[in-house]
Amino acid sequence: MTVYEPNNLPQELLNIPQGEFERANNDWRSDERFTTEPIGFYKDAFRRLCSNRMSMISMWAILIIIVLAIVVPNVTGYGYTEQNVKQKNLPSKVPLLEQIGIFDGTRVLTNIKKSSIEDPKRYPEGCIINVIREYKAGKQTVVDVKVDYYKYCGVADGEYHWMGTDYLGRDIMTRLFRGTRISLMIAALSVITNLIIGIIYGSIAGYYGGRIDMFLTHLAEVLDGLPYIVVTILFMLWLGSGMLSIVLALTVTGWIGTARLTRAQFYRFKRREYVLAARTLGVPDRKLIFRHILPNTVGPLITRAMIAVPGAIFSESFLAYIGLGIKPPQPSIGILLSEGQKVLLQYPNQTFFPALLISILMIAFNMLSNGLRDAMDPSRRGEE
Amino acid sequence: MFKYVLGRIGAMLLTLFLVMTLSFWVIRLMPMTIFENPEVSPEVQRRLEDRMHLHEPMIVQYYYFMKGIVTKGDFGTSVKIRPGLQVFDIIKERIPPTMLLNFFSLLISIPLRILSGTIAALKRNTWIDNVISFLIVIFISVPSFVFASLMQYVFAYAWPIFPTLYNAQAPTIWAAFRSMLLPIIALSLNPIATIARYLRGELIETLSSEYMLLARTKGLTRQEATWRHAFRNSLVPIANTIIPLITGIMGGSLVIEKIFAVPGEGGLLVDSILGGDHFLTVALLIFYSMISLVTIFVVDVSYGIIDPRIRIGGTK
Repeated sequence: MTVYEPNNLPQELLNIPQGEFERANNDWRSDERFTTEPIGFYKDAFRRLCSNRMSMISMWAILIIIVLAIVVPNVTGYGYTEQNVKQKNLPSKVPLLEQIGIFDGTRVLTNIKKSSIEDPKRYPEGCIINVIREYKAGKQTVVDVKVDYYKYCGVADGEYHWMGTDYLGRDIMTRLFRGTRISLMIAALSVITNLIIGIIYGSIAGYYGGRIDMFLTHLAEVLDGLPYIVVTILFMLWLGSGMLSIVLALTVTGWIGTARLTRAQFYRFKRREYVLAARTLGVPDRKLIFRHILPNTVGPLITRAMIAVPGAIFSESFLAYIGLGIKPPQPSIGILLSEGQKVLLQYPNQTFFPALLISILMIAFNMLSNGLRDAMDPSRRGEE
Repeated sequence: MFKYVLGRIGAMLLTLFLVMTLSFWVIRLMPMTIFENPEVSPEVQRRLEDRMHLHEPMIVQYYYFMKGIVTKGDFGTSVKIRPGLQVFDIIKERIPPTMLLNFFSLLISIPLRILSGTIAALKRNTWIDNVISFLIVIFISVPSFVFASLMQYVFAYAWPIFPTLYNAQAPTIWAAFRSMLLPIIALSLNPIATIARYLRGELIETLSSEYMLLARTKGLTRQEATWRHAFRNSLVPIANTIIPLITGIMGGSLVIEKIFAVPGEGGLLVDSILGGDHFLTVALLIFYSMISLVTIFVVDVSYGIIDPRIRIGGTK
C-alpha cells in the first residue's frame, strides 16, 4: 500500500471529480437507539422505593398527616387557644359514628346521690340516658348513670368536639393538629440545621485532613462525650422555652453524626482519579468539595436525615414531658401528651388521640427511612 | 495500651470539667429566688444565703463550687426540693429504686433480645421473622412514654391486675415487685427492640459469609455451624451495646419514672428542674454526665481490647 503525503498528492488523485464518489453502503448506519429512558442512581432508588409496599403506605400516611396538620386547625371552627370553662373535659363526639354508639359524647358518672339526678338544674332535661347501677352507701341511695355529657354541660346541639376538649375547654382536635404542625416544623428545622452544619464541618475535616481534621474530630468527640440529656436540658434552661430553643438544643450535638458520615465519605472519594483530574485542571477547593465529592454523600445523608426526623419528634415530646417544651398556649404533640397524662385515668381520650398520632407518625417515618436505606444502599443495588 | 487508657481518662476529665463549668454557668445565671419561706425571718435568710456565698460575685461562687467538689465532694445544699439537705445525700438516697428497676429490666430484656434477634435471623423471611420484625419496628418507633401511659391505663385501671404507681413500701415483696412490673416493661421494650434488630442484621450477615460455607463444607451440621461460628461472632458487637446498659443502670429514665411516680433519679431531675432547685439540678446533671462518661470510657477501652484497630488516637 502506498502512503501519500497530504500536501504531496499525485495529480490523478487531486483531480477526481466529486460526482464519481459513491457510498460503499447506501443504508444509513448509526448506533441502535435506546428505546427506554436512561435510569440514574436516584431514579433507580426511587423506583425501588416505590416497589416497597410498607414504605409507600408510610409515605402516604405522612403526607396525609401533613395535609391534616395544615388544614384541620382552620376548619374545625375553634381556635387553639379558645377556652370555654363550661365545656371542660368533654368526651369525644363524632357525627355519624355517634349513631352506632361510639364517640357519642356520653360518659358514665359514678357515685351520684339518687335524689340529685331529678334536679333539672344540675342535670338538664334529657341528659341522663340510663341508670347503670343503683346501690346503697350508708343511708344514701347512690347511682352510676350514663349521661350525655354534651347536654350535661349545656353544649348546643350541633356542636361537635371530635376528640373532646381539655381541662380549659379547648378543642383537642384543633390543638392536636396545630401541635402536629409545630412538632413537624421543629423536626424539619432541626434536621435541616444539623445537615447544614454537619456537611460543612465534615467536608472541611474530610477534605483537608491532617491537622485540621485531627483538631475538628477531637473537638466533635469532646462535644459528643457530653450526654445528650444533659446538653439538651442545659440548652433549654439557658434559652428558655420556645420553638427556636428546642431546635437549637437538638442541634448542639445532633450534627456530629452527619459530620462523621460526611467525613468518612470524603476520605473514600477524595483520592479518586476523577478528583485528581479536576484538581489538575485547576478547579478550586470549594468547587471540588461541593461539586465533585459532596454529591457522593447525598444518598446516605438523605437516609440519615429521614432517620433523624422521628428522633426529633421524640425529643420534642420528651422535653415537653419534663416541662421544658414549647411556650404554653402553643400546643405540640408532647405538650398534649403530658397534659393528657395528668388526667389519664379520668379522661383517657385526652391522651389517646395524641398518642395514636405520634405513634403513627413515628412508625411511618421509621418505615420510610428503612425503605429509603434499602433503596439507596449501593451494596444492594441491582438485587431485587 | 496504657498510654491509650491514660489518654482516654484525660479526655474524660476534660469533658467532665466542661460539663461542670457549663452546668454551673448556665443554671446559676438563671434568675432564682432561693428562700421563699415567709416564716423564716429575713435575717436568718440573709445568713443562710451568706453561708452559701450567694452574695459574692459569680466568679467567686464558681471558685467555691469547684473547690467544694474537688476537695470535699460537696455539691451544695438543696434549697427547694428537700431544703437544707446535702444534694449528694439526696442523690444517693434515690439510687436504689432506679437501680432496682434498671436491673430487673436488664435481667428480663437481655435473654429476650438475644432470643428474638436470633430467631428472626434464623427463620428469615418466614412469618415468624415478619411478626418479630413488625414488633421490633413498633417498639422502636412508638415512644416509651406512650407505652407507659397505655399500659398504665389498660393494666392498672381498665383491667386492674397491677397497681397504678410504683410502691416500694408495699406489705409483701411480691406486691412491691408487682408495682414495679409495669415500669420495668416500659423500660425494656425499646432496648429489646433496638438490640434484637441489630443482632438480626448482624447474624444474617454472618450466616451468609464465606466462613460459614467453609464450616458447612468441612462437615459441620447447620446447627453446629450456626452455634459455633455465626452466633458467637455476631455477639461481639452486641457485647459493646450491653455495656452502656449495665453502666446506665444508675441513671433513671426521666419520663417513665415520672409517670409511675418512681422515687428515682429521673423523677428527681424532672422535679428539680420544674421546682427550680438549681443546686440539685447542677449536681444531677453532673451525675448523669459522669455515668455517661464512664460508659463511653469502658466501651472505648473494651473496643481497644477486642479490636486494636479501633484505638482512637493510639499510635499506629
